Amino acid sequence: MNEWKKWPIKIIEKKDFPKGLKKISDCPEKLYYRGNWSDEIFENTLAIVGSRAMTRYGKEIISKFMPELIVQKITIISGFMYGVDSEAHRDCLDLGGKTIAVLGSGLNELYPSQNDKLYSEILEKNGLIISEYEPDFKATIWSFPQRNRIVSALSTIGVLIVEAGLKSGSLITAKLALKQKKRMFAVPGQIGSKTAEGTNWLIQSGGAKMATSVNDILGNSIHCPDQQNLFKDYSNLSDLEKQIVEVLENEEVTIDELCMKIRSPVSEISTTISMMLMRDLIVQENDKIYLS
Amino acid sequence: MLTKILSMANIGLKTENVEVEVNVADKGFPGFGIVGLASKAVEETKERVKTAIINSDIEFPTAKITINLAPADLAKEGSGYDLPVAIGIISAIGELVLPKEKAYFYGELSLDGSLRHTRGVFLLALLAKEEGVKNIFVPRMSANEASVVEDINVYPVDNLKSLIRHFKGEKLIEALKPVNVTEILSDITPEFDFSEVLGQQQAKRALEIAAAGGHNIFMMGPPGSGKTMLARAMAGILPNLTEKESLEVTKIYSLTGNIPPGGSLIRQRPFRSPHHTTSQIGLIGGGSNPHPGEISLAHRGVLFLDEFPEFGRNSLEALRQPLEDGYVCVSRAAGSVTFPAQFMLVAAANPCPCGHLGDPKKDCKCSGYQILNYQKKLSGPIMDRIDLHLTVPAVDVNNLMIDKEKVKGESSVEIKKRINEARKIQSERFKSLAHIHSNSDMKNSHLKEFAKLSDEANLLLKQAVNKFALSARSYFRLIKVARTIADLEKSEIIKEVHVAEALQYRVRNDG
Repeated sequence: MNEWKKWPIKIIEKKDFPKGLKKISDCPEKLYYRGNWSDEIFENTLAIVGSRAMTRYGKEIISKFMPELIVQKITIISGFMYGVDSEAHRDCLDLGGKTIAVLGSGLNELYPSQNDKLYSEILEKNGLIISEYEPDFKATIWSFPQRNRIVSALSTIGVLIVEAGLKSGSLITAKLALKQKKRMFAVPGQIGSKTAEGTNWLIQSGGAKMATSVNDILGNSIHCPDQQNLFKDYSNLSDLEKQIVEVLENEEVTIDELCMKIRSPVSEISTTISMMLMRDLIVQENDKIYLS
Repeated sequence: MLTKILSMANIGLKTENVEVEVNVADKGFPGFGIVGLASKAVEETKERVKTAIINSDIEFPTAKITINLAPADLAKEGSGYDLPVAIGIISAIGELVLPKEKAYFYGELSLDGSLRHTRGVFLLALLAKEEGVKNIFVPRMSANEASVVEDINVYPVDNLKSLIRHFKGEKLIEALKPVNVTEILSDITPEFDFSEVLGQQQAKRALEIAAAGGHNIFMMGPPGSGKTMLARAMAGILPNLTEKESLEVTKIYSLTGNIPPGGSLIRQRPFRSPHHTTSQIGLIGGGSNPHPGEISLAHRGVLFLDEFPEFGRNSLEALRQPLEDGYVCVSRAAGSVTFPAQFMLVAAANPCPCGHLGDPKKDCKCSGYQILNYQKKLSGPIMDRIDLHLTVPAVDVNNLMIDKEKVKGESSVEIKKRINEARKIQSERFKSLAHIHSNSDMKNSHLKEFAKLSDEANLLLKQAVNKFALSARSYFRLIKVARTIADLEKSEIIKEVHVAEALQYRVRNDG
């Protein structure tokens, strides 16, 4: 616990800020930070923000986009909140990327507390933890939206919104980003899903560009085909397994829904699902089944 | 003049002989006193007995009356000493002559001299049989409890007057006819039917497996998904009580006064659903004079804990030992008592405090900290002791309509038939072992003998252990569940498919 405290807190003045940050009207006079401040970490940056109540879909999108972003040596900036923020930081670190976390509290206040390990890991892997507040400042309801302007201002490529409800902090970030004339990208979601209402609205209203792949964000990069499915062996399936794969190609389902669609006894379907799971043909998370 | 009447005292589920000594002395200042570690209820016996005797048209003696409940160092509780004390006094003043043959007297008196329903009569009957005492005199309301015990005469008493007439030979009380236990234990139709529960195929199957093997089960799902309804419907598919089990349950119910007036054996498996504000003592048992808790009242039946994480942390942790051992040992200053607690735990919980975590249609309003705290209560050792883990998804109303038309769910009667057959296989399997009735009771050492796996099943199991990082305990639980699934299909050996199905109900770490 609290291993990150061994990194000293340093202060940086406004004159040494990256250009993008200096430009905004409500720029802080100084920033507190832990880690190594270098110009190159701010060179090529993308802010990823999104819902605290991240769903599996959001997680999937992050893990789908991240490898290409890291290959392009892009620094990921986010807000250190649970949900999409933490997932973006963590995924970036796992792939060996650099990440910057902008806190809504002082640097000595760990919030949320379950991110203790993440805090240390960001520093260990040469990332940055930044805050405009005094080190012992406790996060308040207004400090989170306030720090969002820094998240947005630090991004050079733009802001990617992964999942957001209609009344969410992510939309506040979006508003700020628009004010700062940043490019904005939103991942479309399923109609009817609460965590997609905000992102879909952004796309619909023209505020954000629709991001279905990293290509949409970077514009010119080479398209990497999704290689995962090439390795899966979908031959040699039994009849029931074939039926299950057919259903899963269209949508993810629960076992109950499978029973209803395929009309086989639940014991048989459970058995088959377990067997397919062991062969890594499918993934089971919470109560849903997905093709892997 | 001194008389001695035989009665009993309960210490936990054990019964002991108590001799009620009544002395009516002509000399000395008139008075009425009870000695022999009597509780408040026993102290009050004096007033009830005095009034009841007067209201039975007998003159209450103006003399010094001393009652001694021997042995004097054993704490006595309850209102059952009214009858022996009253009979002792009446016989001491010569209003009736007690027969030579030994008999037990037990029962609470009403002020008008009639006898009221008294708890513990079933235990008295068992004591009488053990001690070789032929006759017991108990309230008519409670006499049915005793009538299932063989080789004793149970005399149902309406009031003091009729008992006096009986001893005077004026009008004899007829002893109850002994009742055949197996006759009582015939089938009972369930109140809730499984076919009424729409959708939830997987949950129904899991409950069937749980009931067939006596496995503990945990259900997690958003509000309105039908967890509570499923659990209640489960009461209807529980296997019939065997004779031995019924006697065990009746003992506990008689002790706690849970048998209604006129009732006899408990025929249905208990289904207890205590509220989550229940105290630890209420749940586990205890008190300065130890009483059984909900887990003992659920002995051989189901303990349904709805809103599982809302129970006090201490209460949940205290469940661990009884879940493993099947009994609970309560030690207090007054002594240490063991109550049986071989119950099937059915626990239900929401995924988070607001209930909508992971629900695609509704927003979860909980903070990460709240969710973490909520799920912390579910983690670890207690979850490790639950065999079947299940997520109950929210039911789509549209699907319900389709489902109703096309697939008619099985009725409870059909399911129960399969379960009873699986139980029969199990009781045959474990007949040489005293404390093991179902697959879930098996200890790890029994698995080698009773749960033989086919080679493929063994291989699959080993793969699964690696893939899902199963603990040793969950590994053994998996085998037990597979054993039950195989029993439901009447397969002597556990096959690959059985293990595969059991895997669907493993502990989930990804929730």
